[in-house]
Amino acid sequence: MTIIASANQLSKRFGSFTAVDAVDFEVYKGEIFGFLGPNGSGKTTTIRMLLGLIPPSGGLVEVLGSDATTAGLDLRRRIGYMSQRFSLYNDLTVSQNLNFYGRAYGLDNKTLNSRIKEALDMSGLVGRERNLTRDLAGGWRQRLALSAAILHRPEILFLDEPTAGVDPVSRRAFWDLLYNLVRDGVTVFVTTHYMDEAEHCHRLAFIQRGKIIAYGAPDEIKRDMMRGEVLEIEPADPVRAVAELRAAAKNGVLDLEDVELYGAQVHVVAQGLQEQLEGIAVVLKSAGIDPGRMAIVEPTLEDVFIACMQ
Amino acid sequence: MAMFRRIWTIVKKEFTHLIRDWWLPAFMLFGGVLELVLVGWATSRPITNLPLMVLDHDRTASSRAFFQTLINSETFVLYDYAQNNDEIASALDRGLINAAIIFPPGFESNLLSPSGRPSVSVLLNGAESIPALAALRAIDGAASVLNEDIALERLGIPRDRYAGFFPSLRVWFNETLSEALYTTPAELGLMLEFTVLLFAALSFSRERELGTLEQLLVMPFSSLEIIIGKAVPVVLIGFTDFLLMLGMVHLVFDVPVRGSPGLLMLLAFGYLLVELSKGMVISVISRTQHQAFLLVLLVGMVDFIFTGYAAPVESMPQVLQWVANVVPAHHWLAILRGILLKGTGLDVLWQNVAALAALGLVIGTFSLRFVRRAL
Repeated sequence: MTIIASANQLSKRFGSFTAVDAVDFEVYKGEIFGFLGPNGSGKTTTIRMLLGLIPPSGGLVEVLGSDATTAGLDLRRRIGYMSQRFSLYNDLTVSQNLNFYGRAYGLDNKTLNSRIKEALDMSGLVGRERNLTRDLAGGWRQRLALSAAILHRPEILFLDEPTAGVDPVSRRAFWDLLYNLVRDGVTVFVTTHYMDEAEHCHRLAFIQRGKIIAYGAPDEIKRDMMRGEVLEIEPADPVRAVAELRAAAKNGVLDLEDVELYGAQVHVVAQGLQEQLEGIAVVLKSAGIDPGRMAIVEPTLEDVFIACMQ
Repeated sequence: MAMFRRIWTIVKKEFTHLIRDWWLPAFMLFGGVLELVLVGWATSRPITNLPLMVLDHDRTASSRAFFQTLINSETFVLYDYAQNNDEIASALDRGLINAAIIFPPGFESNLLSPSGRPSVSVLLNGAESIPALAALRAIDGAASVLNEDIALERLGIPRDRYAGFFPSLRVWFNETLSEALYTTPAELGLMLEFTVLLFAALSFSRERELGTLEQLLVMPFSSLEIIIGKAVPVVLIGFTDFLLMLGMVHLVFDVPVRGSPGLLMLLAFGYLLVELSKGMVISVISRTQHQAFLLVLLVGMVDFIFTGYAAPVESMPQVLQWVANVVPAHHWLAILRGILLKGTGLDVLWQNVAALAALGLVIGTFSLRFVRRAL
């Protein structure tokens, strides 16, 4: 595995606030590396250090073999960057935006024209070249931003919350584009707070309050970090069921690690769940709640991260 | 070569924004011209036709003759005759008149008697100080003529044998003391400052506010290339604005260009770069366009005081006079008036030019380093 970007004890402090606290990670060539965490956890600060936009307060950050903090125009030519909201000039047309990107990276006319054509194909904007970017719907704009960011064929692409506020169908289409890129040999570093997107990554780092609390492939993380199994229940009244189960765990009636609401379902995390199934059903029934379907399931990343965060 | 191509890429992008957001360039190009038309037009005439109220307790040929002199001077127009003091007070309160004149009983008899002391009361509306000063001048003039007549009469000297003291007055550079010749160059200088400052201040604050600045900084542009790319449209439009404004005041308000037009262009260009540097600093310290705009307003208001537009710098407290020397607009206005009205060249203006150049060097160097570090 070739390391294409890495952070070594990387830290960033703003005054007395530590936004990024001695994080370590390595991004391998040709993978989608997910940088996952809640809002304000230090994701954007980390990506800004990788891009050389802000200097670290401590530690090392390397991209494509150079120190990102001192690297000049040559490094910048080899990386691409896209943030969903702010990548494009809204008052420019689709083709003006693409032209600007291409010229900025010094593409010659011939290359630029063929790449713009490809970009329009890829983002599905053929025939809309003259539309103002601000008039495009979120999903189109996001695919346009991605095609602009890869117009110069970067070796590594940094995506900062690329799908924030985009509908699920567009998100799906966007990830298909990312897989295509990876197949062509591009490395992708993506920050997100969507758990389902994290499942799509080859490897992940989960950051919380500036610290990495889980790191590795999704399956590894699930295996290593999960304390116990997950029981999925579909009770008649899930909100009250959660309250009842939590009360029972607190009073020592049941031995549960965690109880969380998942839409209409309830996830219960505990060791030796098989032996406790009966007890859980009894607690619910005595509260007048029909437990409905109960099944031990594979933990999702969300289960793992909620477990990690406690 | 590649550097020029990259700069050109940014310049082109900036102009595309400007075409889209046409309010900004329209304001940059024509806002100043419009302001100049209004200022020049409003101040192109001397102050005349100030409403005057008369309360005549004397009702004689002499009293009538005196206020008729005032009205003939065209400074005043007769508003009305008052019957009592209250009417005058009420008219002054309501701003209907700028001046009132009250003749006491016995004005004429005092005038004609060899030892009489004729007198009138004059009330001026000091709330509007500039018309009040004009009124005062007109009344003083009429009074001194009357004084002379009384003195000659009482001394028994025939008019044709009298030679008094007559200062011979000639006004240089602005023979008719036209307000427009003073105000329009000042306004032109200021509008150039505001235009350039505002335009430059929006350059980075706009991208920061919209969030696109980060993308620009990740692209393979050096900070110098970005700064130049952002500066070129400001300079081009600012200079065009200057030429438009100059053409306008020259053609419409007959403001002369007595000195060297070449020198004027050169110095205008230099001044523009100084204001550009200031604007760029404002631009990178502002998080939003709104903030940048308010900062420009603040800086502009301070500079305005030192252009000598509102009050001459020479009559300001000493401390403020020192401050004036480090305000580029102060030197720029001196240069502008010198070249336009006085026809002076570098032999006279060199101090202002040197000061402007020194300030420009300091501000420019600071700005470049500051903006590069901020980017």
